[in-house]
Amino acid sequence: MYELDMLLHGAQALFNQPMALLLALFGVTLGIIIGALPGLTATMGVAILLPFTFGMDPLSGLLMISGVFFGGIYGGSVTAILLKIPGTPAAAATAIDGFELTKKGQAGIALGTATFSSFLGGTASVFVLIFLAPVLARFALEFSASESFALAVFGLSIIASISGVSVIKGLISGFLGLLLATVGLDPMGGFPRYTGGYTELFNVPFIPVMIGLFAAAEAFKSLEDPQVRAGMAAALDRIIPPWHMFRRQLGNIARSSGLGIIIGMIPGAGADIAAFVAYNEAKRFSKTPENYGKGELGAVAACESGANGCTGGALLTMLTLGIPGDAVTAVMLGALTLQGLQPGPLLFKDHADLVFTLFAGMLVCYVMMLVVGLGSLRFMGRILQMPKSVLTPCILALCIVGTYAINNSLFDIWIMLAAGVVGYFMQKWDFPASPVVLALIMGPMAEANFRRALSLSGGSYDFLYTRPITAVLLTIAILTLMLPLLRRLWAQRSPGGPTTINPAAGSSRMGTPE
Amino acid sequence: MSNAPAPGGKVGLRPQDRLATLVIAVLVMAVAVAAIIVAGDFPPTMLETDVGPARFPIIFAVALLVLCAILVFNTLRAPAAPPDDPAQAEPKASYGTVAIGIVATAACLYAMEFVGYAIATPIYLFGLMWLMGRRNVIANAAIAAVLTALIYAAFAVALSVPLPVGSLFE
Repeated sequence: MYELDMLLHGAQALFNQPMALLLALFGVTLGIIIGALPGLTATMGVAILLPFTFGMDPLSGLLMISGVFFGGIYGGSVTAILLKIPGTPAAAATAIDGFELTKKGQAGIALGTATFSSFLGGTASVFVLIFLAPVLARFALEFSASESFALAVFGLSIIASISGVSVIKGLISGFLGLLLATVGLDPMGGFPRYTGGYTELFNVPFIPVMIGLFAAAEAFKSLEDPQVRAGMAAALDRIIPPWHMFRRQLGNIARSSGLGIIIGMIPGAGADIAAFVAYNEAKRFSKTPENYGKGELGAVAACESGANGCTGGALLTMLTLGIPGDAVTAVMLGALTLQGLQPGPLLFKDHADLVFTLFAGMLVCYVMMLVVGLGSLRFMGRILQMPKSVLTPCILALCIVGTYAINNSLFDIWIMLAAGVVGYFMQKWDFPASPVVLALIMGPMAEANFRRALSLSGGSYDFLYTRPITAVLLTIAILTLMLPLLRRLWAQRSPGGPTTINPAAGSSRMGTPE
Repeated sequence: MSNAPAPGGKVGLRPQDRLATLVIAVLVMAVAVAAIIVAGDFPPTMLETDVGPARFPIIFAVALLVLCAILVFNTLRAPAAPPDDPAQAEPKASYGTVAIGIVATAACLYAMEFVGYAIATPIYLFGLMWLMGRRNVIANAAIAAVLTALIYAAFAVALSVPLPVGSLFE
């Protein structure tokens, strides 16, 4: 088999280049740190390191950047699980159940599961990249504006399943997020909407809002309870999940990795979307969907394998077609070009040795990520042993600095603070924050692609049902949105259904399905 | 929080939660109405095949109005929760401390514009630690200084991400 032979040759060549391996290790470690720090994303990490690759040989430079990419996606989960600070947008999905597990005293298992799931998701995506790249690249080309719109709508339908105790409150949060997502320049005409004359609002300040809603709101909440203020946070328990526990997640990880790979290939869709979609599907297939949102290990495994599965998918279209799947691969495309390599089908013919050595290096990067990740978790877990009276101020300071780091803008920090205050009140009265974040990710993608698709079809709405992928995704989206309602109706009709429904919550709180 | 299950499997709303939910719903409705009014001033699109910049915000705002109306209806219809059992009552939240924390954060941001990260942050950290019940002045000052330095080292030194210098020192 050609690919396997080339991969083995590549591995041989790689291990003769210790400097490339050392730089890959440096990249992975730096990526994990960058991912864990709020406000700093994998994109920023790759962009920071890009100038340093100019003087390196292509393999070393590209492996270092790949290491930052992989480590950056994984690193976001660490602070999301320990402190409810999503280091990256993808980790916002992980934070939902990851932080609940920490509150239950299972932070170690959650972190370990996140690490193994990231490793498995990422490794699977690199194998797909190696063996199925040409086949899948053709599928990626099927995605035009209408399919991207349908994918965004499918993503938005997940709001129903991440709404927590009340679907109505979740939908209000989601539509509030969608309305917020329209702040900024109109995607077609460039007209500024709801900006109040502030140029800083020309793009939706997504990351400041996310940091505020999750991390600052949680920090404000811990100020309110005298016992929490004085108390010590929990210590880290065992890190490596027991086999009987992890074995149950393997199917979930395989499915989520597959979803991540497919979503990663779609231009404009990244790890954040993959994590939320994987979360939703894990809940749909779970035997205990009612545990999602309350600290379910399967949710962490799904989000992390989905997000890391995205890496190979995003690289696939970038390397085979020259189309970057997300912002990080767009920067990596620049790195490849600077090294004199032209992405596209010819890359695999003209530079096959380099490409397969790079693939072998990517697999090694994921092994490094597993080792560095597991090795550093005990150290990172010490954060939990800090008294809350030190940890909470530290979290707020990190929120401020992390938000400032995005655009070097104090304006962004005010946005973060406002989102923190709003998030605090939302949390107090059971309005979930995750739908807002999801809507901020998907909203602009849905609007821009819908309007593009409409223009491409000459103003006809036919594209909604004549294109197979679009029609299938929209159907699944409608079903996903309606499922909680149907379940609730079914539960009410079936004998032994819920005796009391909380009308304000829009659902039963006594363990009956919505 | 807002609708704690009461003993016996019944659920209901406490008066303060009912009021808070209604206030939030009305505020969101006000935001939605304002969004629709402002969207009315958006210019029409020049493309015949486009729906224009106002269509999506209006759809989202109308959906918000409908959802909030449902929430208001459900909240008013919800039964009242039985009085809390004093033995099982949650510890009373200290909203004053939260308010001070939020004001302190705003003050830190305001000060940062003038005196920069290096001065505003340790004072802010010290103040929050004091607010959270740590009364050891020397230890708090030392921790605040160390945390400020660590964050500075991680962002400004290691990753070359500039932090606010402050207009007084620029």
